[in-house]
Amino acid sequence: MRRGGKTEVLNNKQCIYMELLHMSVFSQSFSPCGRFLAAGNNYGEIALFSLSAALSPEATGLNQKPVLTFTAHEGPVFSLLSTDCHLLSAGNGEVSAWSWAELTKKNAKPLWTKRPNYKSSLEIPEINSMAVNPSDNSLVIGGGDNNVHILDLEHGAFKLVLQGHSDYIHCVSVREREAEILSGGEDGAVRIWDSRTGQSVHCIEVYKYKTCARPQYGKWISCVTTDSDWMLCGGGPSLSLWHLRSLSPTSIFPLTGCQRQATFYQDMILAVGEGSFVSHCLLGGEVKAQIPCMPQSLNTLQLNTNSTEHRVLTAGGSSSHIDVFTNLSYRAFSLSF
Amino acid sequence: MSPHSLKFVDTKNKFSASITSALADKNSKSLINTFSQIIGNEAEKKTTLDQALRGVLGDQIVEKKAGCDDYLSLIYLSIDAVTEGISSATTPFVLLGDVLDCLPLDQCDKIFSFVEENVSTWKSNSFYTAGKNYLLRMCNDLLRRLSKSQNTVFCGRIQLFLARLFPLSEKSGLNLQSQFNLDNITVFNKNEQESTLGQKHTEEKEDCMEVEEGEMGEDDAPLPCSIPIDYNLYRKFWTLQDYFRNPVQCYEKFSWMTFLKYSDETLAVFKSYKLDDMQASKRKLEEMRTSGGEHVYFAKFLTSEKLMDLQLSDSNFRRHILLQYLILFQYLKGQVKFKSSTCVLNDDQTTWIEETTKLVYQLLRETPPDGDKFATMVEHILNTEENWNSWKNEGCPSFVKERTVDDKPKRPTRKRQAPEDFLGKGPDRKIFMGNDELTRLWNLNPDNMEACKSDSREFMPSLDEFFTEAIEQADPANMVEEEYKVVRNPNYGWRALRLLSRRSPHFFQPTNQKFKSLADYLDSMVSKLAKELPKDIPSEEIKTGEEDDDDNGDNLLKDSNDSPSIQSKLVTNQQMDDIAAKLGAQWKMLASHLEMKAVELREIETDSEDVDMQAKLLLVAWQDREGTQATVENLTTALNAAGFSQIADSLNEA
Repeated sequence: MRRGGKTEVLNNKQCIYMELLHMSVFSQSFSPCGRFLAAGNNYGEIALFSLSAALSPEATGLNQKPVLTFTAHEGPVFSLLSTDCHLLSAGNGEVSAWSWAELTKKNAKPLWTKRPNYKSSLEIPEINSMAVNPSDNSLVIGGGDNNVHILDLEHGAFKLVLQGHSDYIHCVSVREREAEILSGGEDGAVRIWDSRTGQSVHCIEVYKYKTCARPQYGKWISCVTTDSDWMLCGGGPSLSLWHLRSLSPTSIFPLTGCQRQATFYQDMILAVGEGSFVSHCLLGGEVKAQIPCMPQSLNTLQLNTNSTEHRVLTAGGSSSHIDVFTNLSYRAFSLSF
Repeated sequence: MSPHSLKFVDTKNKFSASITSALADKNSKSLINTFSQIIGNEAEKKTTLDQALRGVLGDQIVEKKAGCDDYLSLIYLSIDAVTEGISSATTPFVLLGDVLDCLPLDQCDKIFSFVEENVSTWKSNSFYTAGKNYLLRMCNDLLRRLSKSQNTVFCGRIQLFLARLFPLSEKSGLNLQSQFNLDNITVFNKNEQESTLGQKHTEEKEDCMEVEEGEMGEDDAPLPCSIPIDYNLYRKFWTLQDYFRNPVQCYEKFSWMTFLKYSDETLAVFKSYKLDDMQASKRKLEEMRTSGGEHVYFAKFLTSEKLMDLQLSDSNFRRHILLQYLILFQYLKGQVKFKSSTCVLNDDQTTWIEETTKLVYQLLRETPPDGDKFATMVEHILNTEENWNSWKNEGCPSFVKERTVDDKPKRPTRKRQAPEDFLGKGPDRKIFMGNDELTRLWNLNPDNMEACKSDSREFMPSLDEFFTEAIEQADPANMVEEEYKVVRNPNYGWRALRLLSRRSPHFFQPTNQKFKSLADYLDSMVSKLAKELPKDIPSEEIKTGEEDDDDNGDNLLKDSNDSPSIQSKLVTNQQMDDIAAKLGAQWKMLASHLEMKAVELREIETDSEDVDMQAKLLLVAWQDREGTQATVENLTTALNAAGFSQIADSLNEA
């Protein structure tokens, strides 16, 4: 829904309220210093929140509002990523880069915007997910054109296109040690690519494994994350932990609903998806706890590893609120757009 | 008012000297002697002695050479003096008070041990009333001096001592007005300050890890310099303590709203942050094994914000807070006499309290370890608190049940005879009992002894009444089987024995006969009685002497000569003697006609050498066997049959 059309009928306040009501947060990223959080929503806006202000003892409600909001893309901001000094955002088919230093000074001007080479010019596929490969300073982009594009951040040129998926790609992840890229897509396959040669090394069709498959939900893979030896993937099939050397599922997590993002944390697994809670699971496959959150369903989960004093977990989803957890076991407060 | 007025100073000096010598001797004799020697008023002497004792103590303290033991020995001396009656009862307490006021705390400890040990003395009659107030004041002074957090044990000892000294209903020990300790303020960082813990805190944390989950929160070592703190929760959480401190605040609307909001948030956090059973209990077990499981006691909550996470993950801490809620709710809901009338909950508040109570119990049950057990225990304890509350509301009635004065029912048989000089001496010899009914009853027979002797009081049956049935059964003609005989009934047998002991001389006849069972014995007695009855109980002649010599060998109990031979033609002893004399050695011929068995004859022969005696024995045996059939007629028949017609005739003539 765009601002514009119906403003003469509804007044401004109501308009904003309606917008907030329908807002979804799709992506989050912490600044390199760890003191700021950038969140992207479905209106194409990116909001910058000051964590240090929100976590301070004198924090008020105002501190839970963004310090800066700007429109980044025409479409929803599906993916946000931070490098050492840049914030990369991906929207409708294009990637934009912003300088963190500038953003903290409330200067929202993109450094550059690039678009991968899409075969078809009729439809502009969205970019669902991005990942940075630090070994060769490249950006892995998973796109709606069923391909993985690799952008060299130094030279600013797209160097590789990984083709293999038969449907659009939901998520990408980088396996640094082996220089491999993992991608999960709507076609239910998790492909492992060699980043240098661009060849698909493995292809795991998760839905074909009876232990994980949940045909009632479908076969699409909406989250992939890796810990070099292990891989978490889930979506239509249950969230499962895979051993990458043997390419076999080790544990299946009995979570209801489709998981949209999962991450490793210490010896636990945190996962969010359908359902207004953050699930804490043990590596063995049992669900240890489910911490209730404000949004009805969650899209994104981020841990601030860049700063110890602001080391929080944030979760956003189908709400204009982003829950902040100082202690993983309970929701401390919420930031809101 | 003595003729000689007591010279105070002199007397006091004398006493002081005497006290010193008594202390040296370690007994109070010299003091007692001095006391008795001095002439004067008892009361005056006592007060002088009290002053003397105090003076001596004062000197000891001032000199500072004396130690605790010396003070104690002086106090022992004063106790003896009180026991002897030469000093007033308050003196030991006054001395104790003086000593405790003047000594530093570590020495007070020793003195107090002495006080504790002698609780029994203080509780004894002579000391208690005089001294209890002094003791109370002394203990309260001590408590004021002591710090609750540093001298916790000493404070505890004093409290325990007071608890033992005073009875349960002692009002000074009760919090009658249900007042709260309003001074118990929980301090926390309302503003951001330089955290005093800072670096030190991180080191402490690494040293002494409390029980917590390792994976939750930011507890992994090495600890970072700071962690994100949820100030919002921190402040709200510790503000709650203020409501626990002063529950009366809850009745005000605004404070209540705040309390409600904060409680909801806090309990939501507790609910969301579930404590892990497995990890918690495992670690606790390990800790117990290593550190001996010492329970750490905190007098006040530690409220640093950095501890918040750790505290939230500690089950003990959680239990504390949840318990505080329950106690608060009990107060708010309860009927306490000293609550003002404005302290009433409205419906919304009541509903909220009920819902929250359920939530709190549920959280308690979920808190490991042994959550369920803990929750039931807590519920039980709070219920008993209700009883205490109502006890206080009623003004603390005493627990000692007064013995109700009830008059014991008068039993005429055991009543002593009323003294004659004031009862029953009226003209109509009627005794007035004050109540018509009683008077009528009493005058049925005013003389109790006579009343007792009256026939209507005769409850003991006569022999024939009791034994009729047995006798009937013993009669072989009735064909009653052995096992159905009433003599086999042990109850009957016991009563039969008692009756025999009261009524029948048969009982007392010594016998060598051995009876296998009571039933056999009773059989024989019954047969004897059968012979005697239905005649009335006659006057027995108990022939003891002769019978001791005789020992017959037959199965029946040796019978003495008590079978009466009055009216029925039973053979008398005299007759038997005559016949025996006449029979002489020819008794054997009669034996066959008397249907004696050979066995019996042999027995008779062995029993006695004298033929007359043998004859007599024969006749006796015959009589025993025959019982009521031992008539003159039968004997005559037998004699005639045996050819002793002369004897038979003589028998008949006699």
